[in-house]
Amino acid sequence: MTALTAEIPAPRRIASVMRIHVANPWPTAILPWLVLLGVHGITWSIWALIAHYAGDSLEPDAFRYAGGVSWLVVYMMVIAIQAMNAGFRFALGYSTTRRDYYAGTVAFFAAMAVVYALGLGVLAMVERATDGWGLDGSFYAPAYLYDEPFAVIAFHYLALYLLFTAMGALIGALFVRWRAAGLYLYFAGLALAVVAFVWWALDAGDSLVAFFRDNPIEVVMAWTLPLSVALAVLGWLVIRRAPARA
Amino acid sequence: MTAIIEATDLSRRFGAVRAVDGATFAVEEGSITGLLGRNGAGKTTLMNLITGQDFASSGTVRVDGENPVENARVLTRTCFIKESQSYPDAYRGRHVLAMAPRFFPRYDPALAARLVEDFDVPVDRMVKKMSRGQRSALGAIVGIASRAELTLLDEPYAGLDAVARHVFYDRLLADYAEHPRTIVLSTHLIDEAADLLDHVLVIHQGRLLIDAATEDLRGSAATLVGRAADVEAFVSGREVLGRESIAGIASATVAGLDAQDRARAASSGLEVAPVSLQQLIVHRTGAPIHQEVAS
Repeated sequence: MTALTAEIPAPRRIASVMRIHVANPWPTAILPWLVLLGVHGITWSIWALIAHYAGDSLEPDAFRYAGGVSWLVVYMMVIAIQAMNAGFRFALGYSTTRRDYYAGTVAFFAAMAVVYALGLGVLAMVERATDGWGLDGSFYAPAYLYDEPFAVIAFHYLALYLLFTAMGALIGALFVRWRAAGLYLYFAGLALAVVAFVWWALDAGDSLVAFFRDNPIEVVMAWTLPLSVALAVLGWLVIRRAPARA
Repeated sequence: MTAIIEATDLSRRFGAVRAVDGATFAVEEGSITGLLGRNGAGKTTLMNLITGQDFASSGTVRVDGENPVENARVLTRTCFIKESQSYPDAYRGRHVLAMAPRFFPRYDPALAARLVEDFDVPVDRMVKKMSRGQRSALGAIVGIASRAELTLLDEPYAGLDAVARHVFYDRLLADYAEHPRTIVLSTHLIDEAADLLDHVLVIHQGRLLIDAATEDLRGSAATLVGRAADVEAFVSGREVLGRESIAGIASATVAGLDAQDRARAASSGLEVAPVSLQQLIVHRTGAPIHQEVAS
């Protein structure tokens, strides 16, 4: 037998890997929205209680700094870690190469980032149209997103999701390759990175503050993209030599 | 006949443990090869190396003449079902089956549906809540229905009862007859699978101990039964693989009997019985092979 060609072309192999993660869409595509709506509901109830008892003494921006939506970002990172790990041995058991698996999984994360970015952007617009769910609340576009247009809000969430899922991909890859030792490595690396950042930040001082003060949010978020790419590439370097051991 | 798998001095070490140690062999295209050996002998590691799921420490393995590691050309033609296959937590049986045709281009969903009936697999149950036998059956279904050019089955029926194992052999052979392919099957249940196998590879403590056609292997030894004195007289000076005796009757398994020897044994009042593949391998690997109890 000479000059073999793959019996399934590469784009279809990668699309199939993406499907692995949504064969059962509950944990990755449905549950996060339900929980998010749940958190939103609870937040809204609390707002309603406070608004009721505070009456006229309520400050105009009282409900502008809800953090409920950030929960979703962390949840998606956990999902990314789990998906990377659970899918790896299954996919290799189904004759997938590590390259196709990683490409498909990262593409899936990116697709989810787009979906969540658009979804949250739309909800932020609904929030604005309903006068903050009738209570002048900011759940989907809190704090610095309050006055921003749809495109900026969606891009902000897109970049944020890419950053956290890329981190999840790296952590998942470390776990797949070295199990618990991989996680120690990650947290040791993270601790060093934080220390290095603080040193650099103390040194940079005013110019760092100026960066955040003078640049609009979309520029700040755009700077996370190269970091996300770097994390994803690092994840690939880790997983490309990972054995599929039980 | 051409070789579909060729391994040359293939080794995989885990620290000081030599899981696979200098294995050199070839598997013929279209054959059914049994990969036999005790627990921890290195069967799964060897299959992991053949399918690029693990990396060789030294030596080479070629499938269709190519290195299987990260090689979609080879892997899209390969199906490797192992007993320890893990499935995503959220998967039900039907999710496992729904994914299969995307990865195995020759997968036959209609055949899979019939096998689900035959094995009585609860496909709507979460895989993690299935019994060991049900998970094995799920893997066996994918393994048979994938019709991959190279199909590797690692302990495919762990936890299956005798009836289900019979169904497995029957369906595998029936589909193999219609859609020939190369099958490598690892198992503990040697005698049960023996009739299936064209060729046998026995691995012991990481080393390849036997690489022979099943027929040659069967003919390579025989068991002589008769009066103890007659048996002793006949076997003296021969390679005895094992002996047993009860009262005055003895049996001895002897290697390398030719037709003349057999005739002579028969004329001296000894019964010449064929040695079972399992007995032979038990003798060669030095200790009783672990027998899995059907649950």
